[in-house]
Amino acid sequence: MGAAAGREIHDLEHERFLEEVHSFEFWFQSVEGYLAGTTYGHRTETADESPTGAVERQRLITVLSNYCIGEMAALEGASGLIAIAPNQLTKIFLSTQVADEGRHLEVLLHRMRELGVKHPAQEADRRASRSLKQFRAELLKLVQGRDWEAAIFAQNVILESLEFAVFRAHAEGADAITKEVLEGIIKDERRHIGFGENELGRRLHGAPHIRTRLTRVREELDHLVLSMLEDSSREIGVPPDQQGELARSYLQSVERLGFT
Amino acid sequence: MVDPLESSDDDPVQRRRFLLEDTGFDEVPARYRRFYRKWRGAGDQLAPNEAICPVCKVVIRSSRELWPGDRLYCMPCMSRLVVVEATDGRLEAHVSY
Amino acid sequence: MADTIDAYSIQNWLESCPQSYLENTEYGHAAGEKEPDFFLQNEVLLEETIKATVQLVVGERCALSASSGLINAAPDEASRRFLATQTLDEARHVEVFTQRLYDLGVRKKDLEGTIQRYANPNLVKFAEVLLEKIDRKDFISGVVGQNIVLEGMAFSVFEMMYAMNESVNPKFAHTLSGTIADERRHVGFGENRIGSLIREHPEKRGEVEQMQKEMSYFMLATFADAFRNNRTVDELEAAGIERPHSQYQGVDLGVMAPEDMEQVLADTVLKEFKTRLGRIGIEYQTPTRP
Repeated sequence: MGAAAGREIHDLEHERFLEEVHSFEFWFQSVEGYLAGTTYGHRTETADESPTGAVERQRLITVLSNYCIGEMAALEGASGLIAIAPNQLTKIFLSTQVADEGRHLEVLLHRMRELGVKHPAQEADRRASRSLKQFRAELLKLVQGRDWEAAIFAQNVILESLEFAVFRAHAEGADAITKEVLEGIIKDERRHIGFGENELGRRLHGAPHIRTRLTRVREELDHLVLSMLEDSSREIGVPPDQQGELARSYLQSVERLGFT
Repeated sequence: MVDPLESSDDDPVQRRRFLLEDTGFDEVPARYRRFYRKWRGAGDQLAPNEAICPVCKVVIRSSRELWPGDRLYCMPCMSRLVVVEATDGRLEAHVSY
Repeated sequence: MADTIDAYSIQNWLESCPQSYLENTEYGHAAGEKEPDFFLQNEVLLEETIKATVQLVVGERCALSASSGLINAAPDEASRRFLATQTLDEARHVEVFTQRLYDLGVRKKDLEGTIQRYANPNLVKFAEVLLEKIDRKDFISGVVGQNIVLEGMAFSVFEMMYAMNESVNPKFAHTLSGTIADERRHVGFGENRIGSLIREHPEKRGEVEQMQKEMSYFMLATFADAFRNNRTVDELEAAGIERPHSQYQGVDLGVMAPEDMEQVLADTVLKEFKTRLGRIGIEYQTPTRP
């Protein structure tokens, strides 16, 4: 561990770099940096500026409900992927992702509880959008079908990029506690989207024929993603003229992989 | 792509060197933190030893001035990048799979 | 159940592990700690140590597959979150024991070959019995197999190994003490969560009991192979190195023959199984002795 300590990190051999960043040790020391001193994703001393108006409060609860179901899908997806991961290092990385997704679900449910929801898991299930639930079902089908590339594409590229874009936009205008919770999640998501994009990028480079299959997966999921984006933009209050920016942020990652 | 380890011996003479200090970036283990910083948004400027990761939008830093062909690693999102010169002459980091 | 589950939350995990017993560790031990020279320099002792460590990696890989597979079979989201932390724990165990193989001189490119060469076939069968239940998304059997049988076995094996290594190999003893702390949570969850499910599904008892009997047999067969074909004691005697007088379950391991150590370990694990299974309403099945 720590072969690069004291050296220029960019001089590492690529294989050694991947060993480092996919390890439990790396994850462990990374999350320590930003989770130490927090309880359920935020500092206890952070001022509670939750919306007091009934409409705003209900809207936030609905937004968090959708996030919970998204994180539940990610937890199910990541845990299922461990069984089909191609090697030990990847299994270990996915295990850290499983813990991240579990943590996200937990802090979001806790936030709902702080907002007065008595049974947040049931409430989340009741409020979540239909397109998100359908996406969750489609993702699980890919995982259960043991299709590594398609499942990674749906989970770590599409779902994670979407969450990354939405959470960033929401954090900008959120109340202090929700903002801290989301910022912690965003830091985790960086690892997940990076892992997905790089893993798929390498595979597409080595076996370009995979692209046809993934294009089909994308076509099947696209309408759900666009619908989820539309719902999220409306709920978190992104002005119509800025909604395109949110979509662009999501689309960039799939475009970097050559899906236009 | 140029591997900085394999670059010519006279590189240090021509390239500017930078002393990297911890900027408070907390998403990687402490010993790597000086290689990254947060992008501060509009008004922020990249130094000659810095590039933005296109995947996760973090600023990647090197102890050397960046040249086209250099390899960079973004630890927060685990990407390998290569520095390229854009059409307007600016340096950009592109993902290298 | 809410209070019990709070104790198994990820928040609790964060406060228990990174901010507690794993703080300032590298691969589960303090930075700079090394394997003792006399193990690294003696060919027989080194091979036996590698062989024993391979069994740990095999066991932990099974635990990783099982705990991650159980997430999608769990009936409630709180159990899923606990299993998410367990998945991470098991991945950490795979990593620290794999790192120990590297510390013992196994080259990275030879890792899989080394594991294949030394993995005990009975331990592989033990894992297969469990993973077949996981594959069928059988949550009750899976949790009993994983969190009571497998973890119960690991708990006792690690404790014995800890006793044997504490004075001669602090590095490995520290690695083991962290894994033992993790296992405590896992066996605790197994008992607390599954007890109520067994009461709700009494029809599952027969199947669970049969699985425990089969897994116990393969476990005993693994112990038999591990102790009876082990050259460590003879080699230490030949080298004139006195074995440490480690205390485990009230006996001095430093004066025991390997077969007697096997007996102590087997009795300890089976007794634990009987007690734990009894608490959740499962009748312990005596396995055939290999």
